[in-house]
Amino acid sequence: MGGALGAPRGGDGGVAMLILGIETATDQVGVALSAGGAVVASFEVARGRRHAETLAPAIEFVCRQAEVRLDELAVVAVDVGPGLFTGMRVGLATATSLAQALRIPMIGRSSLDLLAFPCRHADRVVVPVIDARKGEVFWAMYRQVPGGVQRVVEPTVGSVDDLVADLLARSEEVLLVGDGADRYLEEIQQGYRCESIDGARPSAVPLVQLAHAQALREDWVNPREIEPIYLRPPDAQISWVTRRERP
Amino acid sequence: MRELTVGPDTVVLGIETSCDETAAAIVMGGTDIVSSVVSSQIDLHAEFGGVVPEIASRAHLEMLNPVVARAIVEAGVDESRIDAIACTIGPGLIGALLVGVSGAKAYSLAWDVPFVGVNHLEAHLYSALLEDPSLELPLVVLLVSGGHTMLVEMRDHGAYRLLGQTIDDAAGEAFDKVARFLGLGYPGGPAIDAVALHGDPEAIRFPRAVPEGLDFSFSGLKTAVVNYVRAHPDVSSADVAASFQAAVVDVLVTKARRAAREIGATGIALGGGVAANSLLREELLGACAEDGIRGFLPSRAMCTDNAAMIASCGWYRLRSDGATPLDVGALPNLRLPLLAS
Repeated sequence: MGGALGAPRGGDGGVAMLILGIETATDQVGVALSAGGAVVASFEVARGRRHAETLAPAIEFVCRQAEVRLDELAVVAVDVGPGLFTGMRVGLATATSLAQALRIPMIGRSSLDLLAFPCRHADRVVVPVIDARKGEVFWAMYRQVPGGVQRVVEPTVGSVDDLVADLLARSEEVLLVGDGADRYLEEIQQGYRCESIDGARPSAVPLVQLAHAQALREDWVNPREIEPIYLRPPDAQISWVTRRERP
Repeated sequence: MRELTVGPDTVVLGIETSCDETAAAIVMGGTDIVSSVVSSQIDLHAEFGGVVPEIASRAHLEMLNPVVARAIVEAGVDESRIDAIACTIGPGLIGALLVGVSGAKAYSLAWDVPFVGVNHLEAHLYSALLEDPSLELPLVVLLVSGGHTMLVEMRDHGAYRLLGQTIDDAAGEAFDKVARFLGLGYPGGPAIDAVALHGDPEAIRFPRAVPEGLDFSFSGLKTAVVNYVRAHPDVSSADVAASFQAAVVDVLVTKARRAAREIGATGIALGGGVAANSLLREELLGACAEDGIRGFLPSRAMCTDNAAMIASCGWYRLRSDGATPLDVGALPNLRLPLLAS
């Protein structure tokens, strides 16, 4: 353990490269498995918020149904956020521990990428918006490019008003997607005219699709290099900073 | 999953993330500690005077894999020798517990070995046995930490009876609160222990609350300290710390002794973070010697949160109950499993 990463299995063209994707950034929990870029199994639950209870059995189920043993995996992909902190960490701890134990590399993707990628055929700028609770949202912006989407605005956290201000500043036709868009659609539309796709969540299926393209370029990392995207300091730290900054 | 017969050669990887220590350990046969690694977050929380849950959870995620890797390297065993993964599933901070539980299940899946969920309180009962397997049951365990103060009869493995517990603050909580009030820093236990060495334990006679039976109460003592210091602003902090500590230890030892007499225990063992307190250790040993029973003090490293006790307890649980299903979550309010008395 802790040694150099072994040569990824199945990367040599002889066998289809197997990638397991794990996604737990919102109230949904999902697992997907791809073989040579094709999704061969997936499992998703969007109710109950029982990430810790659901995830490990879901991994077992998906692999068993696809007749794949975990030690055949080449890469573990994971949604690194932003999202709900506790849920995110269930996926991250599971994914990094799996990769560490199996001695295989990892690919981390943002939850916002996972929302934008399925909109790669849309005709306008895609703005994934994830509910950050406490009246705030996480968002980023993407433009279509051949074969996918390209991020043009980095992941940000702010109030719904901040999001509207960002949209107004760019004044482009946009498509909103994500649970933050669902929750605050009316408020956003009062400030900026736009359309949305209802009910979309970051999913493990686009995760393994994106990860496969990346894995072909060997664009992966060691499990210890996977960094969660929190975008917000821990609560207690915030109150401490404000107390100190007060005169 | 492989068939597993739990025996003296069975190697368990233990994982603990219930509060502010990220820990992993390798224990063989339930009592042989091959490695035990603890990464403490005390410095991260010190400026807040207490454990901040979100900071704790983030640190656990960062440290989990490195701590497990180090426990395996220090053990000098190949990971293919690991037969089972034991992990604290409660009680504790939900977000913190979930990091360990998620990681532990992933190791279990990846290595195709059983996962066993461990009750953190029960594991503390095992910390004494872990260091001295010759201890004979029934035993009274005085479990004192930041979250708990309880007297437990350990009748057999997995067979416990609650003899008494605090009806308000835990002893460790009283140490933290008094230390904070006296401006001695965090965590309060070691701070008071150190300052009290320079004070007179008989300088102030603080009240010893003695609720019914074998229960404890510390909130009145804490209030008495605050009132006394307000009325005597020039009093030495060392004297206050020493007198406060003497009052806490007095009550803990008196009740533990009485408990041992009542059940005919072969001895009294300490467990939990407050068990590292030097006065408590000294007084308990003295009392046991007087009563002609064994007093057992786990090492300081074994009193505070660690994963060796998790792996040890996991070995016993695995032997008696088998593996825990992977659909178990974290149980922040888990209680000690007790016999119907």
